[in-house]
Amino acid sequence: MSETTGNPYRIYRITWVILLIITTAMLGAEAFHLPRIFLIVFLLAFMMVKATMIGGNFMHLRYEKPSLAVMVAAGILVTSLILYSFISRESHYIAQRLSQ
Amino acid sequence: MQAEAAAHVPALEAHWGGGAAPFGATWQKTMMWIFIVTDGLLFSGLLCGYGFLRHVSPVPWPRQSEVFSIPFIALMTFILITSSMTMGTAVTAARLGDRKRALNNLVFTIVGGLCFLGCQAYEWSHLIHEGARLTGNPWGPPQFTQAFFVLTGFHGSHVLSGLVILTITAIRASMGKTPAQGVEMAGLYWHFVDLVWVFIFTLFYLL
Repeated sequence: MSETTGNPYRIYRITWVILLIITTAMLGAEAFHLPRIFLIVFLLAFMMVKATMIGGNFMHLRYEKPSLAVMVAAGILVTSLILYSFISRESHYIAQRLSQ
Repeated sequence: MQAEAAAHVPALEAHWGGGAAPFGATWQKTMMWIFIVTDGLLFSGLLCGYGFLRHVSPVPWPRQSEVFSIPFIALMTFILITSSMTMGTAVTAARLGDRKRALNNLVFTIVGGLCFLGCQAYEWSHLIHEGARLTGNPWGPPQFTQAFFVLTGFHGSHVLSGLVILTITAIRASMGKTPAQGVEMAGLYWHFVDLVWVFIFTLFYLL
């Protein structure tokens, strides 16, 4: 682990501060009633940044072999996207039928 | 061109080579990661189901800020993120052989987890008192509270099991019986619980 060369605990404090700043920004965006589409893009982007920071810095994925990081990220994200794409189509269909 | 490609082979082999340890990790850590992926898919399915329920709902979905106290949910998020920081510190301290710091931070993490669970219990009891049920609620479609109870309930049960794991790890660590890798495995699970909350917090409470 490369963080052992300096203060080995610094990375956790920095990550913690950044996560808190991002969380505050997300709350601010929700409170200021941004236009819906901006709010969605903003919140989803920051959500992914937070997830990447937790996975990379807290769970040490950035120090692991790329094959492990890819297995984890692809395993969860790709499968979720496939599931969501099917569910999304189905929900459009059902919502249309319910509105008729 | 062929020589250039051949030069990349050792680098590719280092990153993607198979052998006895294809992920360059111990079998315990590899199995923990596989477990985390499968558990992540469970929450992924639950969140997709929540998206489905919300989209097909014939009644407008309630505005979350009118149902929940968002500052209170933010406090819960703050507690969980802080407990992840102390957990990361405990893992590194255990690796460096600093037993006292590892133990202290494990205890901080457990306290953080207990505070989070306490906040969740308060939130549930408050909403139930206001009429939230699996079969209906005063704010909108019954799917709203169904999604709420299932998502936060599953997450809360993971926090609870994480607390049990951390408590056992801390007790064993205080007796010098837990190796650094044991603390790291417990840490991976705890960070996963935090990771899941990032998605629930954004997709259910804010969007």
